[in-house]
Amino acid sequence: MVVIGLAIFFGTVGGRIFERLRIPQVVGNIFIGLLLGQSVLGLISRETIQNLEPFNYFALSVIGFLIGGELHRDVFRKHGRRFITILLAEGLGAFIVVGLFVGWTTWMITGDLAIAIALGSVLGAISSATAPAATVNVLWEYKAGGPLTTTVFAIVAMDDALALILFSFAAGAATILTGQGTGGIMASLGRVGWELAGGVILGIATGFLLNLVLRRAKDRDSSLAFIIGALALVTGIGKMIEVDTILASMALGFTIVNLAPRRSDKAFKIVEEFAPPIFVLFFVSVGAQLDIGGMVRWMWILAFVYVIARTVGKFIGANIGSKLGKAAPSVSKYLGLCLFSQAGVAVGLSISASHRFSGDFGTAIIMIVALTTFIAQVIGPPSVKYAVKKAGEVGMRITEEDLIESYRVADMVNKTTKSFLPDTPLETVLGEIAETDELAYPVVDDTGKLLGVVSLNELRRSFMSRELSKFLVVYDMMESPSASVTEETPLAEAVSLMKKLEVEFLPVVTAQYGDKLVGMVEQREIRQAISREIMRRHQVAEGESADMA
Amino acid sequence: MELSDYLTRDRVIILKSDTKPAVIDELIDVLTSCLEGVTRGQLAESINKREDLMSTGIGLGIAVPHVRLEGLSHAFVAVGISREGIPDYESIDGEPAHIIVLIVAPQGRHELYIKLLATVVGLLKKSSLRSRITEAETSFEIYTALINGNA
Repeated sequence: MVVIGLAIFFGTVGGRIFERLRIPQVVGNIFIGLLLGQSVLGLISRETIQNLEPFNYFALSVIGFLIGGELHRDVFRKHGRRFITILLAEGLGAFIVVGLFVGWTTWMITGDLAIAIALGSVLGAISSATAPAATVNVLWEYKAGGPLTTTVFAIVAMDDALALILFSFAAGAATILTGQGTGGIMASLGRVGWELAGGVILGIATGFLLNLVLRRAKDRDSSLAFIIGALALVTGIGKMIEVDTILASMALGFTIVNLAPRRSDKAFKIVEEFAPPIFVLFFVSVGAQLDIGGMVRWMWILAFVYVIARTVGKFIGANIGSKLGKAAPSVSKYLGLCLFSQAGVAVGLSISASHRFSGDFGTAIIMIVALTTFIAQVIGPPSVKYAVKKAGEVGMRITEEDLIESYRVADMVNKTTKSFLPDTPLETVLGEIAETDELAYPVVDDTGKLLGVVSLNELRRSFMSRELSKFLVVYDMMESPSASVTEETPLAEAVSLMKKLEVEFLPVVTAQYGDKLVGMVEQREIRQAISREIMRRHQVAEGESADMA
Repeated sequence: MELSDYLTRDRVIILKSDTKPAVIDELIDVLTSCLEGVTRGQLAESINKREDLMSTGIGLGIAVPHVRLEGLSHAFVAVGISREGIPDYESIDGEPAHIIVLIVAPQGRHELYIKLLATVVGLLKKSSLRSRITEAETSFEIYTALINGNA
């Protein structure tokens, strides 16, 4: 228990630290596990890990359940056929390329074709998953918007489910191929068929029951208890009757979310809030199981092949899928670059594989996935950034505040505004400004030094008497500037200054040579320019993604 | 707007001097007692600064020197009459100035300032009022004429 407490505590701390470094928390959790576990400190013993096994199954069920919950009918309707095409292509692309190359390499190393196919298909299936968190974070950070961004959002939301399904099949096949099943080939096939079908049936059946119970559950606490109960039940029964428990929990989540979308929305939120410590402990224990010292040379080679093949597979698959789905050119060109991230689901599946396959085979899968997750998390986010930048989608979902933050006064100053000397007769001024539409005009001396401002509002007062404009001069109407800014002033600062002083405009002066006039900034003009820019960017983003849907 | 809110009896004088600087000094003297926060010198300086830009002699024998001053809390009007006229006022029409109306307003009261100017100019546009003023024997008569100018 002390070890578990320490694991959760340090795991969370590690996750936070890695998050600071812009690496997903999962990697931090695994890293802490690595430190506490057999590789370094040896605090978490092999025995503890053994004892944690049932818990790990449960954690995997939670992952499966949450993925199933993503597969709401609306998701399919919203994302449409095009996204499904792209999803299948990039997922299968990674699956096939990784499967082939990892399989071939394994065959070259071990000379055992069955093992090669088994390892290839399991790792291939795992490789098709894309980690949403790290990918989506980059898109948010850069306020990306447009066809590429929309596609990435849709793909990462759904491809874990594809990975899970592929994995279930691959693991079934691998069980037969590695000869870890007992009996003849037909018996093995039957067992695999039962594992998959039975898992789905168990999940759906439990889903219907859970839905009935949840309908009567009054409060959060009892809802949470029922859901956790159902997940534990599915995991336990699944192990007992030997079905795929991850698939079963995914079917459970899928059933609930489609039977009662609104009620289950709350249910999934509850589980998400409850899940973090489970995941931390789970991933720490993943790290603790790793024995870096025990990593033999061929595992390193396979990890290397896996990374290359996954990258190539995702890239080619995404490209073919985008073309088949007739997506925008920027999507087929850059989508592959956005799908490298790999995290929780892949690691989870590798653990599931290690439980299924004893010996080197199981160890190799965990090792390879853990190592490649690390690599993928380092190259994944920067390559997403590169792709959205190249696709011209950075900053397309920007808000007015963001945009204002990005400018300086220099970007908005009106330097062509008319300025007047203080002795200019009002009559002359009225004649000259008739054709302009500024709200205020700067008043300068003959060296260009700012003396004040004469606003349209003040000028309007002189209309009270026609005679006034004949003998009044600009000096009579001018106000001393309430404040002034320079071109270097951040626009946001100028805007908040105008709001504070309740003025519509501010004169802009040079910073170095005293108060020499540069021009004027007006709140109204800034607002218009900002709205135009927002409109332009949103049109680029919406226009093309509307075309996408 | 009532001129009587800003122009009192004692601020209407018959001018003794006959040059622009001296006349302006005389009018400033009239206002000295009510200038809280502003010195005589400051007032004179800003009037001269304004006159340097463009003379406020607007023709028809009228001049309206006017300034806004930081630190004032009220607006004031002072009137000086010169039957002989001030030849060096540099009026637009080149004629000597006979009726000089000094308008002083607080810096922030722009609207009031313009309204005062408009009111004064509006009144003095009437030639009947101008002749009543120039023909008046006492400052009180001038004051009454101005105050009832719109009647």
